[in-house]
Amino acid sequence: MNSASGQDSLPVIRAVERMLPPHYARQDQIIGALRELWATRHYNLERLEDLHRSVRVDGRFLALPIERYPGLVTFQQRNDAWIQVATDLGEQVVRKALDRAGLTPQDVDHVFFVTVTGIATPSIEARLMNRLGMRPDMKRTPIFGLGCVAGAAGTARASDYLRAWKGHTALLISVELCSLTLQREDLSIPNIIASGLFGDGAACVVLRGGECPDAGPRVVATRSVMYPNTERIMGWDVVDTGFKVVLSAKVPQLAREFIRRDVDGFLAEHGLTREDVKHWVAHTGGPKVLQSFEEALELPPEALARSWASLREVGNLSSASVLFVLGEMLESGEARPGDWGVMMAMGPGFCAELVLLRW
Amino acid sequence: MVENELAVLREIRRIVSQELEWEGEVEPTHHLLKDLQLDSMGLTVLAVELENHFRIRLSAEDSVGVNTVGDLMRLVATRAAGEPRAAAGGAP
Repeated sequence: MNSASGQDSLPVIRAVERMLPPHYARQDQIIGALRELWATRHYNLERLEDLHRSVRVDGRFLALPIERYPGLVTFQQRNDAWIQVATDLGEQVVRKALDRAGLTPQDVDHVFFVTVTGIATPSIEARLMNRLGMRPDMKRTPIFGLGCVAGAAGTARASDYLRAWKGHTALLISVELCSLTLQREDLSIPNIIASGLFGDGAACVVLRGGECPDAGPRVVATRSVMYPNTERIMGWDVVDTGFKVVLSAKVPQLAREFIRRDVDGFLAEHGLTREDVKHWVAHTGGPKVLQSFEEALELPPEALARSWASLREVGNLSSASVLFVLGEMLESGEARPGDWGVMMAMGPGFCAELVLLRW
Repeated sequence: MVENELAVLREIRRIVSQELEWEGEVEPTHHLLKDLQLDSMGLTVLAVELENHFRIRLSAEDSVGVNTVGDLMRLVATRAAGEPRAAAGGAP
């Protein structure tokens, strides 16, 4: 069966851009900066260094120079830094994405802004309206809390909007500055792993309704999946000093258990099987999550190569990660008309979001 | 069961209930993976906390043949008896 009938009226992904902050730190530099702190509680530091290395991240781009982090003690200090860098990075990535799409800020009808690493009211996209000179009637939907799933979920929600407003242009902006959430005084193993895994970055997707004459992959369908009673698998405990990470080792296990059932069911509704999917755009998660995806979906060895490369080069960027992979994929020019793709991510809830794409 | 092993058992019970939110019983015969349902993160937390409490280092080679709580008790008790304690607050 072919779901492409009427495909021209579906929302299209016109452009994707990525932006990294300028302060790069190699993994061994970050370990060096944290080692003294770890020693205040932990005896076997080599084990912690091994944990940091096991996430297979070479280094991260940080919102601030690494020496500035110890000075950020309170939630306010961290969040103030977050607002400043998120607004700057957001502005840069939106300008680049609109340039790539051949559009201007005035062309945008609706902005979806996703993050889980800082809070602001007015939210970041409101601040960007002033900086970029967007239309005063532009609609805004700031979304906080979806975490890693928000790159895929934001794409899905923007597409939902464009199904109703077929002549409109929507932006999905993701800004995640995970380094500014780090609780230095939390010396738990999940936090030490998180401090080795998560990095900073921003992405912007330009989507347009089906009436716009644009080339690019169409969003054919989307699927949200919630896994009941999994609230402590991943998330934040909000404490006096900010966001304290909740991260369970059950994440890869859940991915292994459920992603195959959910992907197969989703594809089957469109007359497709995994064999029909040529492009897998997976949230980078971590090494075990990617291995779980590969095993559960029986993917060929190179299917998630871009996700692995992104993890190694910049770390897990939360919601921005899957958009980085999507951007790399589009830039490669690999996809051919008629190709099917699946974008997928998992995040706090615990939940998954699947997006079916067709070129 | 020697006194040192009992001390290790008490610490294992504390870690598993307080740090890993395990609500069931913890006995020496229990299998770490099958009965206590520890995953890789759980095993790491358990190892790190035991290392911190008893001021020892456990290696990957040490874990060979360690399947049950009792196996782990004996390993940690032996190591704690043989490895001198570091000075209070001292890092390795």
